[in-house]
Amino acid sequence: MRALALRWGTALGGFNSHLVVGLTLALVTLPQAVAFSVTLAGVPPHFGIYAAIWGVLFCALLNPSPVFHGGPNTAMSAAVGVTLLPLSAPFGAEYMGLALTLGLLCGLIQLLFWLIRPLGRMLDLISEPVINGMICGIGLFLIFRSLTTFGGLPLNTEVEWPLWIAWQSFLAVLEIGNPYAIEIGLITLATCIVVQQVERLKSWAILAGIAAGTLYSEYLNRKYGLGSTLVEQIGNLSSIRPFTASVPTFSQEAMHDIVAIVPGAVTLALLGLFQTVAALRRMSRKAGGYADTRAAIFSDAVTNCALPFLSSLPSCASFNRMWLVHKLGIHSRVTIAMSAVLLLLLVLFFARAIAVIPMPAMAAIIMLLGCNMLKWEDIKPHVTNKREAVVFFGAFLSVLFLDLFGAVLVGAVLAIAYSKWEQAHPNVSLTGNVLKIRGNIYYGSLPVIERIYHDALARGERLVIDFSQAYYIDPEGLRWLAAAKNTGHAALIDRRSGIDRRAVAAAAAAAERRSGWDRRTDGRPATPSERRARRDRRRKPQL
Amino acid sequence: MIAKLWKTGIALAALGGLYALSIYKHAERDEMRAAPVALTPGCADKLARYGLVADKFYRSPYVKARGGEPRAARGYSADDLRAIERGCNIIDDTQGELAKTSLERWNATRFIRGTQLKCDNCHQQQGDKQDAHGNRLKGSISLGASWVMADMYDRFTGLLLPYELRQMQCFINSSNGYKPNIADDLIRDVTAYSRFLSAALDLRIANHYEEQGIDEIAASDTLKQGDDYVRGEAIYRQKCAACHGPQAQGKVVNRRVFAPAIAGPNSWNMQSRNYFYFVNTILPGFICRNMPLGQENTLSNQECRDIAYFISNLPRPAGDKQGPLMALQQQLLMGVIPPLVRATERVTAPNGTSIREGDE
Repeated sequence: MRALALRWGTALGGFNSHLVVGLTLALVTLPQAVAFSVTLAGVPPHFGIYAAIWGVLFCALLNPSPVFHGGPNTAMSAAVGVTLLPLSAPFGAEYMGLALTLGLLCGLIQLLFWLIRPLGRMLDLISEPVINGMICGIGLFLIFRSLTTFGGLPLNTEVEWPLWIAWQSFLAVLEIGNPYAIEIGLITLATCIVVQQVERLKSWAILAGIAAGTLYSEYLNRKYGLGSTLVEQIGNLSSIRPFTASVPTFSQEAMHDIVAIVPGAVTLALLGLFQTVAALRRMSRKAGGYADTRAAIFSDAVTNCALPFLSSLPSCASFNRMWLVHKLGIHSRVTIAMSAVLLLLLVLFFARAIAVIPMPAMAAIIMLLGCNMLKWEDIKPHVTNKREAVVFFGAFLSVLFLDLFGAVLVGAVLAIAYSKWEQAHPNVSLTGNVLKIRGNIYYGSLPVIERIYHDALARGERLVIDFSQAYYIDPEGLRWLAAAKNTGHAALIDRRSGIDRRAVAAAAAAAERRSGWDRRTDGRPATPSERRARRDRRRKPQL
Repeated sequence: MIAKLWKTGIALAALGGLYALSIYKHAERDEMRAAPVALTPGCADKLARYGLVADKFYRSPYVKARGGEPRAARGYSADDLRAIERGCNIIDDTQGELAKTSLERWNATRFIRGTQLKCDNCHQQQGDKQDAHGNRLKGSISLGASWVMADMYDRFTGLLLPYELRQMQCFINSSNGYKPNIADDLIRDVTAYSRFLSAALDLRIANHYEEQGIDEIAASDTLKQGDDYVRGEAIYRQKCAACHGPQAQGKVVNRRVFAPAIAGPNSWNMQSRNYFYFVNTILPGFICRNMPLGQENTLSNQECRDIAYFISNLPRPAGDKQGPLMALQQQLLMGVIPPLVRATERVTAPNGTSIREGDE
């Protein structure tokens, strides 16, 4: 009986944890959903809220990873705005129809990445320094991006946010920010920081912060009136239903516009997938697990194909919310699905209570998430290695000076360059007359190897090439080894097993066969004596 | 435990410090708002002529002087008065050459990358250009006339464009700078001044006036010879180079801008509507109606288009949305081309007398 009670108690405790984390996630996602749709994408708030409900739910069902949290995303929302702004007026019926079409095209393009396996594999060319650099960049991005809302100021930028504008926003908050908004934001932050220090209350920290900020805001509104405090609140969401069916625009007269948004759809698809793959790999590793990125591509693609029929913005992984899931310490798809259901219930039944939550408190929470993403423990390993540091800071600065998509591209190029550079510089040592090659022998590394080889030859010694620790030898490497052997200046050895030597000998013979030395002019295989004679002829210089 | 307490303490102290700093900065700004305004000579003259005083009603002396019966409009409080005065100062002296502190102009230079451009360069005579008889001039980009068309649909973007956002566009593109926040005093004071001008000139909301915006010159307004760089350069050297310099980099005399740069790093950027390749009717229109100073309306339409075409081919900064590569390319061009041209001119000029870039 006691054991049963204990089991029930544990289960209930677990459920409570799921509930708290789910509620925290729901409350953090809600303002982001509203802000992204209205200020970035140029669509009504329900687009973002449906993405935060249905996008998260679909991803939780389709994606096997326990750390994945989909939903509305900053960069994707901004990309929707950038693509559609030249074509139509925001918030209009035509604009919303095109936004849905854009989302559907994005989903279909993502589906191609799942269907064509090598295409999806390309997304894996993002290394850990790139991902960490991006995370740190996005952390700063979130802090700066929330500054104006924190200070109760109107959003300063429509779609772009270079670092210098963020700095202007900081100065503006100091000089002309709404003092009431600043106080609410600071109280929210201070409450979060203090509650976070108590281990048992850690997962309640954000909720406590929002509660403190809201209570103080209500106190100010009672004392001075909303007309005097001018503190922005989330506002009335009572018109939102569980779902609103919609159909993307695909009419004859809209064809011109649809063709025009195809490049935007490609960008949107790549933006989403890059972030999904990068965030999933990073957070899975952080949680000590492994996630199949192909499953994530599939879940993103199917979700984004379905969401346009539910009046929703496209969805992809959210670095900051996944970070929050990790920080709260519950890695479970149940929690994530629960957050979506809780958000729906909150919007349906507590719309009036949610309406009074002040936006500065929400901005403070987003800033806190940004701070949590800037961890020295994650940065330190990349700073110790010079080349990795270049990749890390390249990705980090690209987020700050370009945008997320630019950062992903720069990061991928740097990561590939870094790995190629490493491969192209094998460890070649000359001990006595033994030339030992540790690393790759391929077209990129041959110039390095050949330089040392010829330096050694110049001393007039007969060399022994030891490639027992070569990881990989490409056909050009094989031809070089064969040529080195054939010149008679060097011998090939493999001290460890001899297996490699035989393999190389066979490969060298194969390479020579391909070059045609063992074929007679009529195309039939040469006899052993003919081969021997021909090999001798090749070795002796023709006078 | 102690380390944790330390960390929490530092974080809370940082938040407290931020709050204290914001309180200090707010107080500094409030003090400036309440302080009397030292007007620039141009503004002092203009506002005196328009009879700006704190009163319950405002009756325009301009309308009376032109034989009309001024209507009694709502008057201005002392706070309004200072806002209007500061707005006029910002237009007339955006770079703060006549100001004691940068805060007097609400740190306007923070939002301009270059060191030469000011609002008055385009919105001449403090945004209210008139001839000697007080006639408002066609295509003079009057701020008062712009204000009465505020919140109208912008014909370039199709967006509803409030007057404040229009000012932000000026800061970003025409001044090649940054956006002030829409709630900044800088924007509010210029709006207050523009609104006062519309009252002083008795301009009515949503009406179109000749002095509003630019009197644009399209290719169809010419004899269709086509826009020509060589012709443009020749006319520029003859009519404009004396003030703006041979490479259009402006002229600064005794640290005061004599004529602003119309190319190079101190000029407007490639996203501005002044840029010929972006909108090819605005710069020619501005030139024809407002340049050369004192000889307005003397250039032919084709000459204005040629000059605009030539100026726009000189290197200038890229716009924010044109991406880092374009920005880098333009920075390189701005760094390389002027010294190259100077060197070439030094070699090719007769008797070694090359035209020097005016004291820049």
